[in-house]
Amino acid sequence: MSNYIERFTAGERVLHWIVTASFFTLLLSGLGLFSRLFNGYFTLFGGGGNAIMVHKIAGIVFFFSSLYMFLKHRRDVSTFDEDDRRWIEQRGGYLSREEAHFNIGKYNPGQKLFAIFIAAATLILGVTGLFIWAPTLFPRWIVQLSLMIHGLMFVGTVMFVVVHVYLATIGNPGTIEAMLYGDVRSMWAKRHHPKWYKEASGENP
Amino acid sequence: MADAIKAENRKGFLVDTSRCIGCRSCQVACKQWNKMAADKTVEQGSYENPRDLTPALYNRIRFLEVGEEPGGVNWLFLNERCMHCGEAGCMKVCPSPGALYRTKEGVVAYNKEKCISCKYCVSACPFNVPRYDSDDKVSKCHLCLDRLSGGMPPACAKACPTGTLKFGKRSDLIADAQATGKQLYGVNDLGGLGVVYALEGPPERYGLPATPHIPLSIFLWKDVIKPLGILGFWGSIGAMLLHYVTIGPKKIDEAPEKEERHE
Ligand code: HEM
Ligand code: SF4
Ligand code: SF4
Repeated sequence: MSNYIERFTAGERVLHWIVTASFFTLLLSGLGLFSRLFNGYFTLFGGGGNAIMVHKIAGIVFFFSSLYMFLKHRRDVSTFDEDDRRWIEQRGGYLSREEAHFNIGKYNPGQKLFAIFIAAATLILGVTGLFIWAPTLFPRWIVQLSLMIHGLMFVGTVMFVVVHVYLATIGNPGTIEAMLYGDVRSMWAKRHHPKWYKEASGENP
Repeated sequence: MADAIKAENRKGFLVDTSRCIGCRSCQVACKQWNKMAADKTVEQGSYENPRDLTPALYNRIRFLEVGEEPGGVNWLFLNERCMHCGEAGCMKVCPSPGALYRTKEGVVAYNKEKCISCKYCVSACPFNVPRYDSDDKVSKCHLCLDRLSGGMPPACAKACPTGTLKFGKRSDLIADAQATGKQLYGVNDLGGLGVVYALEGPPERYGLPATPHIPLSIFLWKDVIKPLGILGFWGSIGAMLLHYVTIGPKKIDEAPEKEERHE
């Protein structure tokens, strides 16, 4: 039995890091627009006008790459089974120090919900962003509503991504290897995604 | 944003619409003083011209034809411009400090060099006033700041031949008008408008909102989502750190195939 098992292809990893890079570019260029408290972030781009331009370009990259990422693994993230229900009932074991074991497939329900949320947020941020881009072309109420919703989804997305980054790094040691090298340790796979490990390796863990 | 204006310094207009004859001297004087080119207009079956504020038109006369009795028509004239609101929606949302700013006279002035062309101000203005020039920079009435600083009234008020546009100390103008029993619009709305109207009839008849306010979604955006959002950012980071040190990470079980340590 091999020590490692492939989790993501190189293409999948590059796509994920394109989404991530464009996301953080959007975050940094958007902070100054969100509140004057964050005005200092404009200097990263050489002023607010440039920050807006960068935000628009990064927005286009994020919109298409993020939706493409969702479409590519929509089959893995859009169905929930009985084992997922157990995971949700016990909050994935994250709220207790007790060892918890769940028979999870490629993704756990938390990851699935995160992926679905990000896809929905990408759509909403993209559409509202378009109205904000050219406010004089649309009725005022649409632009006003868009400014509000864009801000709301921005906040929600950042908060979810904070949780995502925590769980993908220090919260679950070994996970980051999936996105860095593509291969994860078999021990990791058996611990976190036993059902997927069984299918992918043909072994009985 | 609470930008306190001292009442004794605050300058403003009192617009007595009953005196207006629709001569548009104010429109022309403004264009001349601010050196703005003519706008190309289209004949649309009205004396009103142009039909909306433009980047090169800071104030204009709104012509309203109101049918009173059968066959009769009442012509109403309203000088339309930036109201220099006490609580200005445009200033609330502007992300570029100094692009829109308050002078000691209470004027909502602007500095095009600092404007970053986000156009948030147009969405936040209760009166749909700001326009954008060919460089996409904000433009609107600035109460002839250059004239004010030289002790002169704005060009429009100077040119008005009928006394419709009165400019001066805001509190005095309001007191005088109230003494003659006039109903005033904008005395207390939005922290008090810098342009107060004596109207003949309800504000809606002039196309003015009865109770002007900052649009609800703009209020929710800036006064609810923004502060709660900033709390949320730090809260989510704090919650993750707390989780790490209390419940802790999900370690992979010690296992034989785990690589040996090299310390
Ligand atoms: C420094 C930032 C980030 C790190 C370290 C990171 C890390 C990871 C890792 C390790 C995985 C694989 C999880 C597994 O194997 O089960 C993953 C999956 C994923 N990442 Fe990220 N990521 C980051 C930022 C982002 C951002 C900004 C987004 C989207 C806005 C995103 C969206 C996703 C999605 C949708 C998946 C699929 C699995 C899921 O739904 O959780 N990631 N990420
Ligand atoms: S009328 Fe509009 S542009 Fe003028 S101060 Fe008020 S909110 Fe700003
Ligand atoms: S368009 Fe200019 S003045 Fe208006 S909110 Fe944006 S930066 Fe401020």
